[in-house]
Amino acid sequence: MTMGERTRLSSSAYGAASASGDRRPFWGALVSHSGYQSLTDLIFKSPRRQFLLLASLPVAWVLVAHLGPILQMFWVSFLDSYPPTVGQEPGFTVANWKKFFEERIFMMPFFRTLIFALIVTLSTLLLTYPVAYFLAKHVKRRNQMIFLLLILIPFWVGEIVRTYAIMILLGNNGAINLLLKSIGLIERPIPFMYTTFSMSVGIVYLTALYMLLPLYSALEKIPDSYREAAADLGAGPWTRFWRVTLPLSKEGITSGCTLVFLISTGFYATPVLLGGPSTTVFAETIAGFFHVAGDQWPVGAAFASIMLIATLALTGLFLKVMGRGGKGLLQ
Amino acid sequence: MTGNTRVLMSMIYWAFVIYLFVPLMLMVLMGFKASKFIGFPIKAWTLEWYLGVFESAEVIDVFAYSMTIAIASTALSLFIGTWIALLLGPNRFFGRAALFALTCLPAVIPGIISAISLRIYARLLEIDPGMIAIILGHTVHNVPFVALVVMARLSTLPQSQLEAARDLGADQAVTFLRITLPYLKPALIGAAVFCLLLSFDDFVRSFFLGGYEPTLPVLIFAKLRSGMSPEINAIATVALVITAVLGLWAERWTRRVTP
Repeated sequence: MTMGERTRLSSSAYGAASASGDRRPFWGALVSHSGYQSLTDLIFKSPRRQFLLLASLPVAWVLVAHLGPILQMFWVSFLDSYPPTVGQEPGFTVANWKKFFEERIFMMPFFRTLIFALIVTLSTLLLTYPVAYFLAKHVKRRNQMIFLLLILIPFWVGEIVRTYAIMILLGNNGAINLLLKSIGLIERPIPFMYTTFSMSVGIVYLTALYMLLPLYSALEKIPDSYREAAADLGAGPWTRFWRVTLPLSKEGITSGCTLVFLISTGFYATPVLLGGPSTTVFAETIAGFFHVAGDQWPVGAAFASIMLIATLALTGLFLKVMGRGGKGLLQ
Repeated sequence: MTGNTRVLMSMIYWAFVIYLFVPLMLMVLMGFKASKFIGFPIKAWTLEWYLGVFESAEVIDVFAYSMTIAIASTALSLFIGTWIALLLGPNRFFGRAALFALTCLPAVIPGIISAISLRIYARLLEIDPGMIAIILGHTVHNVPFVALVVMARLSTLPQSQLEAARDLGADQAVTFLRITLPYLKPALIGAAVFCLLLSFDDFVRSFFLGGYEPTLPVLIFAKLRSGMSPEINAIATVALVITAVLGLWAERWTRRVTP
């Protein structure tokens, strides 16, 4: 080794040391700082204390911000007046809950909402299953991202904007009526708007992705060899679908249906804009107690509680049935 | 699968894509119509409505208001959601399942119920309807998504990296700042943009928790109730472009989360 090489080597080694040395002082100085040390000692010395600190914010947040509003809503639903008037203690009553069972104008929107949500869920499932199947099984893996992205982009757009887009599509002077008129199928515009139909188109448009993504990820997980094995054993296309693909995608169907059902019961703006007087959903009834009919918060709270219990009970039941059925089919 | 079903499937796919895109395209197009009345056919074209959006102080204020709310609630959601994920991800303790279920609760409650329960709750906490109430409401709704995304990423963090850091003398705080946090970065960026979109687009919570100042979706809703006009199309299109750009940018990051 010549002298020149040695100098170069040592200087490069020195250079590397100084380069890493440039970064080290910050962390080194931080760690050796006495204030930092006493702070980390305080936090990390006992594992128990460390865990309690780690758990403190999540537990507090979840209880106060996630559970609190729901419990408070139940509480208010049993009061005879809220917000409280000054110097007056609100009394307890079950009248708010009874009101729901006594009047037809409240029951109707409630059942309409549930039936409507079921129809929407089923239509979304039928509409998106072939799409998800195509994406998971027929699109080449390296193209899947682009094909998926094409579907994702419209779903980033907000609820109101997409509802408005549907209004333009279905209106009396809308695109569909214009198309039908120009090819001579109709003379007068078909009144699509403010009906159950326009509402369904709108809500399916808003919720399709929540069905499609779980279906896609369930279908994607099924190995192609399963279908090939079924084919080797003599199963035709339909048998392969009914006996192999469908049972194995059950998990995706279950979570997709649960999501779409829960989301579609909760829409407020879309039914207001796309529906009419004969399609009032329960969300509008509940909102009425907060915005239109003066402040009848306790009644609104009771109705919202009824809806929450009903939707969660129905989805719980559905999950239980699907869970058992799924196991039975897989055995 | 035979060739015929493959063709049929791809036709269904493209029909679905058309179903998703056509209404939005029509809406964008209608913003160029030189007439006050929404409806086809479009005979004359104008840029007036789009230019109007950028000239109207009211609309720009509303954009800024919505953005402020989105950014504030996203920052809060990231902080709280990540903290929850750090607790629930690596630790096993009594009540973990219950805590996890409660964390997910706001994500499964139907929108209208979530909105009015928060409205009643804000009254109890004596938070007046307005910006603070909306920010907190959006945060409650966003935290579950952040927690889930961060937990998923955290579960793939190689334990060897944490052990190597400890062996090299890093304490837990330094390990967190120099190993865990950089590893979570793609998930955090993805979650942040998702929260921004959820907040910016949210109607029902902003509507019930808002005061007199509307957020963008609330403004569009209010204008729609008094009649359709190309002005609304222009405002909605600008909102659409903002969300699409944000979403596409986030997409690049989330793709790195699940390679």
